[in-house]
Amino acid sequence: MPYLLLQALIVIATILGLRLLQPSDPDDFAVSGFSLREDGITRPVTLPHFTSSRYSLADPPLYTGAFTFRRDQAASGWSVFLPRFSNAVEVAVNGVVVLDSRRDANANRPDRNTPQIALIPASLLRDGSNEITVRLFVWGPLRGFLDTVYVGPDTALRPAFETRTLLFVTLQVVFSAWQSILAVILAIMWLMRRHEPVYGVLAVAMVLGVMQAFVPAPVPPVTTSRLAAVLLASAPTESALIVMFGVLFFGWRWPRYGTLLFAPGLVIFVVGLIAGPPLPRVLFLTLGVPMVGICLFLMACVTATAVVRRQDAASFTIGCAVTIVLTCWVHDMLSVFEIVTNERIFVSRLSYSAMLVAIGAGLTWRFARALNQVDSFAGQLVTRVREAEERLKASFAREEERARAAALANERTRLMRDLHDGLGGQLVSIVALSERGHEGATITDAARAALKDLRLVIDSMDDIGGDLMLALGSWRERATAQLRPHDIALDWRVATPQGLPLHPELRPWHVIQIVRILDEAVTNAVKHAQARNIEVTIETLDGGQGPYGVISVTDNGRGFALSGNGETAGASQTARGLRNMRSRAARCGAVLDLGSNASGTRVRLQLPQVFPDSDAAGG
Amino acid sequence: MSEQGETGEAITILLVEDDAPTCWRLQDALVKAGYEVRSAGTLAEARSALAEAAPRVLLTDLRLPDGHGVELIREIRQRFPDTEIMVISALGDEESVISAITVGATGYLLKDAFPTDIATTVRDLVAGHSPISASIARFIVRRTQGAAQSSAEPSPGPVLNTAKLTPREIDILWGIAKGFSYAEIASHLGLSRQTVPGHIKNIYRKLEVHTRSEAVFEAVQQGLIKL
Repeated sequence: MPYLLLQALIVIATILGLRLLQPSDPDDFAVSGFSLREDGITRPVTLPHFTSSRYSLADPPLYTGAFTFRRDQAASGWSVFLPRFSNAVEVAVNGVVVLDSRRDANANRPDRNTPQIALIPASLLRDGSNEITVRLFVWGPLRGFLDTVYVGPDTALRPAFETRTLLFVTLQVVFSAWQSILAVILAIMWLMRRHEPVYGVLAVAMVLGVMQAFVPAPVPPVTTSRLAAVLLASAPTESALIVMFGVLFFGWRWPRYGTLLFAPGLVIFVVGLIAGPPLPRVLFLTLGVPMVGICLFLMACVTATAVVRRQDAASFTIGCAVTIVLTCWVHDMLSVFEIVTNERIFVSRLSYSAMLVAIGAGLTWRFARALNQVDSFAGQLVTRVREAEERLKASFAREEERARAAALANERTRLMRDLHDGLGGQLVSIVALSERGHEGATITDAARAALKDLRLVIDSMDDIGGDLMLALGSWRERATAQLRPHDIALDWRVATPQGLPLHPELRPWHVIQIVRILDEAVTNAVKHAQARNIEVTIETLDGGQGPYGVISVTDNGRGFALSGNGETAGASQTARGLRNMRSRAARCGAVLDLGSNASGTRVRLQLPQVFPDSDAAGG
Repeated sequence: MSEQGETGEAITILLVEDDAPTCWRLQDALVKAGYEVRSAGTLAEARSALAEAAPRVLLTDLRLPDGHGVELIREIRQRFPDTEIMVISALGDEESVISAITVGATGYLLKDAFPTDIATTVRDLVAGHSPISASIARFIVRRTQGAAQSSAEPSPGPVLNTAKLTPREIDILWGIAKGFSYAEIASHLGLSRQTVPGHIKNIYRKLEVHTRSEAVFEAVQQGLIKL
């Protein structure tokens, strides 16, 4: 309801505005007393005057009047000024034609309020009374109209003429230029965003408007009726397009029967193509003009609904604009049917152009705002992504830290266990031996074993960069030193200079397990097999699925029974050693092969391609 | 049986070790091999022993009751350039051995080495063969790798300038670290077996920090000297 009230206010404001905008004319030089000769009858008339509608240019109504010219008063040249006429005039002073508006196509359009001015050659003017005749050419269906004629000094008439030109000609051109630019912009928008036909519809409406504005209407004698048909059809088509635009703009579906709105335009166009004048013009007035009104009314309804539903600035603005145009249209209708006294100034076209420009500007504004939203959305997205990234990074770092701490704790636990199992046991054994009064060799052996174990653990802590060869190098030194008192030679055979493949995943506890296996093999060879020679072979094999290392320890001792049936104490000790070796190999994913006979023992340790991360085999 | 130098005299060894049993053990092994051994339990005793005559070989522990063995090594290196210096280490840990090498030591001796090995090591040293263990070689080559990869994160342990080492010397160190014998290294690298010990001696020399200020700086860096 407030909306309707506001629209009523706008209507009043529009009417007042139109009244105010009515250009004032230099009334001092008005010539309004004329005698009209029409259809053979001469009668006095007072301008402004309406004549009957007609469709023939022959024998036009002839207005004859008189004005007084004083040569001594005339400082400058005199002009004749016709503010408004329809459709065309031919003005003669003292029988000589000074102005023929038929030559100016735009001046003859009834929907424009084009004024005309013409200088009267000084030689034509007589001191005293002069005769002025105006032939009014009328082509229907509108009635002919001739506003007051002004004759006087050019300096006095020119400003009024300029004002009218500015209002009704230049402004129209300016609006049309804007419209054409907006049409291009909207067409591009539509081309880039096919799923938004609203831009395309408005672009077509604007193109039609521009065409209507710039293509000169043919003057009737030149009956290029096809062009006329297009021009006549344009107004109802445009208005239908505007309704379509409104429906689409507010996000509704364009109903199929809505296409009927285009029917009048189409009918006028077809008739214009087929039939000659004056039928298309009659059709235009009876079908086209009401259609424009209906469309405007529909548009007003659409916008009103949109205002009620959406309550936003865009629908509100368009609603107000439609109300203004509708008011102007009603004003023009009243003017056409001479219901109100007027000077027959048509403002629909002008207000419509202004509305289109406003809508176009609004659309462009909306488009720019959408772009801004996209920008800010993109900005927000970037910020969000960055935030998420940082959170992720932080949590990743936390996770990494936790994993590192866990790995460290794991490593520490293993080290403790290794020290406890190996070194601790050996030291306890030393203490026990000392307490029982053992002397010499036994304690020495136990202490050496403890020291060896300590070296092994310390050595394995060193970063060897995944190169097991570096650990084996140290082990070779220790083993050689260990074997030297027993006078056993350690043969060291490495198949390639590289030795073993690199294992980045190699951990100290893997190294400890492997070195202990080798230690056990050497110890067995010395203690139980009485070997004289031990050979360590290191090679890299490739079974087609990537390289893997193999370490073999071969001795030339007397061998031992692998079954370990417990014949002697030594045999059971050996059996326990073998069990240990197997379980150690299993823990680090290696495969242990044992072969023993009377001529020697061979321990073959096949390393995994990738060392396991966790102690999968347990223990 | 008596080990003799080129002049025919007995080779003198100054043994600096504060742990009496270890000292006896080493001394027994060396004396049995024919060396003339004087022993000292502290830095002060070692210095007073040096006042009499320069030893041919210095064997010193690093942790002594009245100071650090590194000080002694540096002093002897300056006063008696011909003296061969070895560090006595319990476990042969890189930390202490490398520290000693940077001030001029050319080898190390494990405290629990078998008596025959003790004598052999000293004999080799006097003959000009600096022994180098796989773990020490490993430490040095890992350090050269670390220097090549990134200088951003300094490796733990003593500062070691490996920039002067030639690629060949680094290859030799790699071979030793991987447990290859001198003969194997020589054949892999296309060298004569006899030249390998000379290369190793050069490696020791190159790792030594020569100028006094450099040495002090290094020592401070390693926390060996407290200012």
